[in-house]
Amino acid sequence: MGQSTVKNLPNGIRFCYLPADKFKTITINVFIHQDLREELASQTALLPSLLERGTWKYPDSLSLRREMENLYGAELSTDVGKKGERHLMVISLELVRPDLLPEGDILRGGLNLLRSVLCEPLVENGGFPASYVEQEKEQLSKEIRGLINEKTTYSIERCVQEMCRGERFEVYKYGDLENLKKTDPAGLYTYYREVISSNPIDVYMVGPESVPGAGAMLEEVLDFPREEKPREIEETRVYVRKDREVLFKEEVLPVNQAKLVLGYRTNVDYSHPLYYPLLFFNGVLGGFPHSKLFQNVREKASLAYFVFSRLEKHKGIMIVTAGIDYQQYKRTLDLMQKQVKAVADGEITGTEMENTRRGLLNQLSVQKDSPSQLISFYLDSHMGGRDHTFEEVMQKLQQVTREEVVEVARRVELDTVYLLRGEKGE
Amino acid sequence: MGELKERVSETVKEKVYESEVSPGLKTYILPRRNFSKKFAVFSTRFGSIDSSFEVDGHRLDVPDGVAHFLEHKLFESENDNAFDRFAELGASSNAFTSFTQTSYLFSCTENFEDSLELLLNFVQEPYFSEETVEKEKGIIEQEIRMYEDHPQWRIFFSMLESLYQYHPVRKDIAGTVDSIHRITPEILYQCYRTFYHPCNMALFVVGDVSAEEVLTQVKNNLGSREFPEWKGIKRIYPQEPPQVNRRRVEHSMVVSEPILGIGFKDVLPGFLEGEALLRREIVTELLLEIIFGNSEPLFNHLYEEGLIDEGFDAGYTVETNHAYTFLGGETRDAELLYQKIMEGIRGLKEKGITFEQLERHRRKMLGEFMRRFNSLEFVANNFLSYRFKNADFFAFPRLLQEITLQEINERLEEHLDPDLHAVSVILPGRE
Repeated sequence: MGQSTVKNLPNGIRFCYLPADKFKTITINVFIHQDLREELASQTALLPSLLERGTWKYPDSLSLRREMENLYGAELSTDVGKKGERHLMVISLELVRPDLLPEGDILRGGLNLLRSVLCEPLVENGGFPASYVEQEKEQLSKEIRGLINEKTTYSIERCVQEMCRGERFEVYKYGDLENLKKTDPAGLYTYYREVISSNPIDVYMVGPESVPGAGAMLEEVLDFPREEKPREIEETRVYVRKDREVLFKEEVLPVNQAKLVLGYRTNVDYSHPLYYPLLFFNGVLGGFPHSKLFQNVREKASLAYFVFSRLEKHKGIMIVTAGIDYQQYKRTLDLMQKQVKAVADGEITGTEMENTRRGLLNQLSVQKDSPSQLISFYLDSHMGGRDHTFEEVMQKLQQVTREEVVEVARRVELDTVYLLRGEKGE
Repeated sequence: MGELKERVSETVKEKVYESEVSPGLKTYILPRRNFSKKFAVFSTRFGSIDSSFEVDGHRLDVPDGVAHFLEHKLFESENDNAFDRFAELGASSNAFTSFTQTSYLFSCTENFEDSLELLLNFVQEPYFSEETVEKEKGIIEQEIRMYEDHPQWRIFFSMLESLYQYHPVRKDIAGTVDSIHRITPEILYQCYRTFYHPCNMALFVVGDVSAEEVLTQVKNNLGSREFPEWKGIKRIYPQEPPQVNRRRVEHSMVVSEPILGIGFKDVLPGFLEGEALLRREIVTELLLEIIFGNSEPLFNHLYEEGLIDEGFDAGYTVETNHAYTFLGGETRDAELLYQKIMEGIRGLKEKGITFEQLERHRRKMLGEFMRRFNSLEFVANNFLSYRFKNADFFAFPRLLQEITLQEINERLEEHLDPDLHAVSVILPGRE
């Protein structure tokens, strides 16, 4: 893999090129940053899907998707993400490497398609076409209501909502139904104009060096007029003191398996000096099959099939969760908390420490083998204000000590316990 | 090294080396330069549908879910656990069981040789005890419960139950809470001895590795072991009539919208394998793309009517002794969507497929095939599962180019027969 290059284009777009010859593709991700705010979230979530509905050149889905097919299955997709209290609109394009194809000129076509979707949306009467807006609002409302369908995701989201009441982080990445209702074609188009011209935009490209001029071609496509200086995005609030005991929240639905979710505040985020020890803390506790949670809750006590801990790195939150039999709720809760306490008490064996180190190093290295994970690494690193290279992170992981992990564990506080359970067995 | 045969894909510019290691383990190695990750998968042709077979001339019927149970337990040995030892090597390991095979795998960036040795060893050294088998039942019970609350999983199995009267593909891969409680160490050993012979298995290694070195290591590992003579496996499957089991079924569970699933049984002309199987799969996938793909009028009409979302999908599965098409998704009105889909199929059958449609979808499918070679896991898992059906995954682009308009129109005529379909619906509500 060659050296990554970053430059700020004249219109303020930050462009990062990650050369890699091993992939069969050229991958481009465009991230438009926005504050995560209740009143904005539904509009932010709606915009990318509207851009995908029609452009001047490809006014409907049929023509747009047929063009993608003719470009050997170019994959143009949109979504929204949430990192800390920042909302991201994502537009991505994946193309087969032109040098592998019989007719090589799909790069130009693919980039024009991207330009078209990003900058040339179809406009009618000063707004997005009303029928597209109606349809996409219905689709988004289905997405919001559909959170409940996958019970593990639902339970984690519910725990986070309860835990972060009153903080911006409680906002769901797809927004809410009430604010969605208020959106209209003209307002959305105004919002789009505002966002595309003044919000920070990061563009990443992963592609082979053997396709000459690809970077320059993309720069050309991204050269559209914008405000001189992108507006500032509000910082994520990590340290939150609340004057309350641990919050317990229980929900009853006709389900077969109970889901137990514990929300912790680690009080350490991406830019904190103890960030790398935090990764170890999560790893020793529940990030791997060798971790305390898997070993004790699953292997020794047979209480669960899945049990793990996971970090929201930009907000400094840790989630611990398992799918269990409701009868075993108290026992599982107790056992989970015991594992956290054990780490804080310094009960970390040399094997646990070293297995975690090897596991984290392995996870880091394999990120280089997937275009999307590669991009995700650089984006996180940039957002966390570090801009570390893989080698630097590797070195940091090599240096973490047991004492530092214990120090992190002592800062960690249980905030909220959420239980989803069935109706039987009370 | 003369024993390594080469299989080249000009389309993606990749080369697989293959060899048979005594007493019969098919070994495949795909070097991918500049990847940090090395990935290996060791699979046996033993899946959830293999619940009746002959041992020493006697028929044995084992409880449902035994292949999956065995997969869970094989990680354990008398003194330790392969999971822990992979962790010590910094490797990440896992396993999965499908209808037709069980696969054990790891990925690593360091200690590849030790990790491969560990994979070969733990899969070839079973240890099952009363105590550990008992303990696993609680874990698998929770796995089954988890899937019971999973709407997509539920609709898929309810469709299979509707399509098949007797074939074991209608049963959950993990079995039932009741069936797993009947599993004993003896049953696991009987299954192990029957299905885990190298002649019934295959190994795929991919990453920045040397094919010669990997092959030598596998040879040394198997060379140090003794294997009974391979007599083949007599698998027993019930006679499945062409007719579906039931036309329509409804369930209720906690979901925001109804979910519609439609299955079409595909009656195979006897035992199917090799290029004929792969070709049937490609023609049918192309056909489904042309009928239901998001670049076609039917999809767009349904989307604009708010009857489907982007998750709407249609796919075809073909194994040596059963095949089916499954399509569906979340919808505001399952009945209306069902009517419109059946109408759409009828309409296209009358109209036929055009050359323009075929060419467009052919290009798309070729591009997708190529893009997916970014994933080492994708290549390894697919290559092996096609080998088990005696087909060559690398033949995919060639066969795709060969498909003719006449062939696909004939397939349209023959498949998606209204007499052979079944509908399952999940409605929001209480179970």
